[in-house]
Amino acid sequence: MSKDFEQQLRDALRPVEPEDGFEQRVMARITSEQTRARSKVTRWVSVALAASVVFAAILGTHEWQVRREQEGLEARKQLIEALRLTGEKLDVAYQAVNREPQPPPDNESGA
Amino acid sequence: MTMNALFRHSIPAIFAVLSLSAGVASAADGQLKLPNFDSLTDKASESVTITLDSALLGLAARFLDPTKPEDAAAREAIQGIKGIYVRSYKFDQDFAYPKSDVEMVRKQLIGPGWQRLVEVRSRKEQQNVDIYILVEQERANGLAIIASQPREFTIVNIVGSIDMRKLHELEGQFGIPKLELEQKDGPKK
Amino acid sequence: MKASDTWSADELLTRARAGESSAFAALVRRYQRAVYSIALRMLNDRHRAEDLAQEVFLQLHRALDGIESDTHLAFWLRKVAMNRAIDRMRQESRHGAEPLTEAEAAVDETAEDDPLLKRRIEELLAQLPPAARAVVVLRYQEDLDPLDIASTLDMPINTVKSHLKRSLTQLRARVQGTAIVEDIR
Repeated sequence: MSKDFEQQLRDALRPVEPEDGFEQRVMARITSEQTRARSKVTRWVSVALAASVVFAAILGTHEWQVRREQEGLEARKQLIEALRLTGEKLDVAYQAVNREPQPPPDNESGA
Repeated sequence: MTMNALFRHSIPAIFAVLSLSAGVASAADGQLKLPNFDSLTDKASESVTITLDSALLGLAARFLDPTKPEDAAAREAIQGIKGIYVRSYKFDQDFAYPKSDVEMVRKQLIGPGWQRLVEVRSRKEQQNVDIYILVEQERANGLAIIASQPREFTIVNIVGSIDMRKLHELEGQFGIPKLELEQKDGPKK
Repeated sequence: MKASDTWSADELLTRARAGESSAFAALVRRYQRAVYSIALRMLNDRHRAEDLAQEVFLQLHRALDGIESDTHLAFWLRKVAMNRAIDRMRQESRHGAEPLTEAEAAVDETAEDDPLLKRRIEELLAQLPPAARAVVVLRYQEDLDPLDIASTLDMPINTVKSHLKRSLTQLRARVQGTAIVEDIR
C-alpha cells in the first residue's frame, strides 16, 4: 500500500512544463535587466566622473593654495632676511664712520 | 670735517647727487650680474642666497602682517622695489672665496649711473664695505652693497626705486641705524 | 528542435559563459521544466511559479561563472528555486497572503492518471509547511534521495527523513480519508 501511495505521489507530482514562450520571456527579462544595468552603470560612471572632476579641482585648488602659501611664507622669510642683512651692512658702514678718530683739538683751534 | 659728519652729511648728499645726476646715462635696470657662487655653498660654513624678483616680492608682501612692526616696516621699505638679490657666505678659513668674483661685481659698479655713496676700509678688522646707488632721473633706482672680510663676504643688490627715507624708517627693525637725513650742510660737491 | 539543444550541458555552459545568448536560451529550455515544477508545487500558483522560475534563471545568468558542471547546474537550480520559493512562502504568510484555492491548484491536464486524485494530493501538499513540502517535492517530483535533499535544503539528514515519514503518513491518511491525529504543522 505504501509503495502504491508513493507511486501515486510521483504521478501527481510529475514535472510540468511552463506555458509556451517561457524561454523567450526569460531572455527578454535578461535583456531588459542588462539594459537597465548598463544605463545604471553609465549613470554611475557619469556621476563618478563628475564627482572626480569636482574632487580633483577642489584638491588641486587646495594643493595650489597650500603650495602658494608655503611659497609666500618662504618669500616673506627671505625678504625679512634680506632686509636684515642689508641693515646689518649699513650698520657696519655707519659704525665704522662713527669710530673715525676726532681730529686733534689744536688742529681745530689752528684752523 | 670728521668722517662721522661726512657720513651724516652723505645722505643729504645722496639727494644732491640725485638732483645733479639727472642727465647721467641709465645703467640698465640696476640689476647686477652676480657670479654663480654655487661652488662656495659647500665650502662655506654659512650661506645665504636670496633671489626675490618682483613676482616673489609681491607674493611676500601679501604674507606680511601689517599688525607686526617688522612686517609693516618691510612693506613700506619694498614699495617701488623690483628685486632684492643677496649672496652672503661665511667661511672657517681666511679668503676661502675667490676675490675675483667679488671684484667682478665691483667692476659693474664703475659703469654709468652708479655712484659710490660710502667706502669703509678698516685695516684693523680687515673689513671693507662699499655702498653704491644707481641714480636715474633724480631717483635712486638701485642699491648695491659689497661687504667683505677675510672670512666672509656679502653682496646685496636692490633693484627699483629706492626711498632712502623708508630705509631710514627701518631703524630698529632690522638693525639699521638711524641715518641723519637732516640737511645741515649743503650738498657735497 | 534547435541545434543548441543537441549540445551537452557542459558545452552550453561554456558557450553561455562566453556570452552566447542562444546557449543560455538552450539551458533555459533544458531546465525550465524542473525549475518551474518546483516553483509550481511550492507556490501552487502558475503565475507566481512562472515569475519565480524566471527570477531563478535571471540569477543563473548572473552566476554563470560560478557554475562548474551540468551536475552542479542541476543542483544549483534546485537549491535556488527551493530557497526562493520557501522565502516567498514565508514572506506571504507574514503578510497574510490569500490562502490557495482549488482553482489555482496546478493540474497536469495531460496526465493519464486520475485527475481528481492528483488535485487532492496537490491540495494536501499545499497544506504542508514550507520545509516539509520542499522535502516531499524533492523526493517525489525530483526523485532525489534523502542525502541529496539534505544537501539541497541545507538540512540534517535526520530532519529530512523525519519530514518524509511524517508528511507521507499525513498525506496518505488524508488521501484515504483517515482522521488526522497529529498536527503536521
